[in-house]
Amino acid sequence: MTREHGARWRFEAIGTAWEIETPDPIDPEARATVRERIDAYDATWSRFRDDSLVARIAREPGAWTLAAEAGPLLELYRMLYAATDGRMSPLVGASLDRLGYDAALRLRPSGPPIAAPRWEDAIAWDGRTLQAPRPVAIDIGAAGKGQLVDLVLDALVAAGVEEAVVDASGDLRRIGGGIARIGLEHPGDPSRVVGVAELSTGALCASAVNRRAWGDGLHHVLDATTGIPVDRVVATWVVAGTAMVADAVATALFHVDPERIPPELGIEYVRIAGGRLEHSAGFPGEVFA
Amino acid sequence: MIDSNASTDERIEMPTATTTQPGTDRPTTLGSRRVLTATGAAAVGLSAVGLLAGCAAGAAETVAPPAASETASNTAAATPSATGGAATGTMFVDGTYSADGDYQSPNGAESVTVTVTVEHDVVTAVEVVGHATGGNSKQFQTQFASGIAAEVVGKPLDEVEVSRVAGSSLTSGGFNAAIDAIQVEAAA
Repeated sequence: MTREHGARWRFEAIGTAWEIETPDPIDPEARATVRERIDAYDATWSRFRDDSLVARIAREPGAWTLAAEAGPLLELYRMLYAATDGRMSPLVGASLDRLGYDAALRLRPSGPPIAAPRWEDAIAWDGRTLQAPRPVAIDIGAAGKGQLVDLVLDALVAAGVEEAVVDASGDLRRIGGGIARIGLEHPGDPSRVVGVAELSTGALCASAVNRRAWGDGLHHVLDATTGIPVDRVVATWVVAGTAMVADAVATALFHVDPERIPPELGIEYVRIAGGRLEHSAGFPGEVFA
Repeated sequence: MIDSNASTDERIEMPTATTTQPGTDRPTTLGSRRVLTATGAAAVGLSAVGLLAGCAAGAAETVAPPAASETASNTAAATPSATGGAATGTMFVDGTYSADGDYQSPNGAESVTVTVTVEHDVVTAVEVVGHATGGNSKQFQTQFASGIAAEVVGKPLDEVEVSRVAGSSLTSGGFNAAIDAIQVEAAA
């Protein structure tokens, strides 16, 4: 595997491995800005700490003013909630807890699956303030990592970085000239790829159910209408302009077929479903059947 | 306690894996795991707790721990269980348990699969299988989704020219730590 750039900065954040590749090392002030951005995001959205804002929202009813990033994030969720008939939902936290993917990562179901509450019943969102008459467990795992990749890249650009790849282990975004060739990892065998994406400026997100599987049929991509893990789609890859959109649609494709994805999101995809490898006509790169 | 070899200016974000009360639930099977062969790693005769705690650390040592100070190491160390006195009189249920540990090395992301076989509280077999990105995995894992992905063959990494790979093999450190802790909870 050949590297594009000279400098690689690796760290752990939000429970996963990150790598930022740039032509020159990133200076300490820019790194500090990146860390602060990540910390602030985690303090709002993490389901794995009891002092986060979503942890509070899961304990007490109320009206909550959310950070600016919540606007585009929840707008995208609303769009995909409709497109998937409610199967993809940010209100799936309690369902995940029930199956064992909770803050303590007990990884053992505590009861039968439970469906997520309906959006209309649980929250009202006006673009800035979230109203929740009852406590509700919010989980933005389907798009949050992608959004954070975008926010980290924004911070680097603000610090003067002009070429970079921000890779948060399966969610990545790139700016700069030329084209990067990115292998699409076979979900069953990390030494193989099912295709290669060719990315210039934009994002690629990969989603698969194999790794966060803690029992027979238990993994973390849930159908919110039942609380049960999906079982037909095994892996998805989406190319989009932003990592938030790529990440969210990579999840949505576990719930619905590609025709249901709103065309204005401008995505391309590869998907392994029902034993077959599918892809959009315009997917940049190659796919190996 | 989650062990971490991170340099001091890198922050490790991992939830502490807790042990739950022993109950009547049997641990769920850990989904499908790689079929493994014995490698002869020294394990016979060691207590299960000591080995499980040491296994992840041992795995990191075996496959070259990171030397660069800016690279964070992510060892999925098991939390030894304080529970004991299960009905059979042993601390751990006989069986075979495995988990994956991921970490960063100067060569890139590395993962290992560790499997231990426990009989009468003694580890009778251990295997550590390293999976270097870009290299060949020793086994082809069948998904818990009944090998659906097995029908898609793809190409070996060394036959394609790519600068990186997008997939889910680099999984959450906390998740892996939790899997390790669950194995220790097999005593419950």
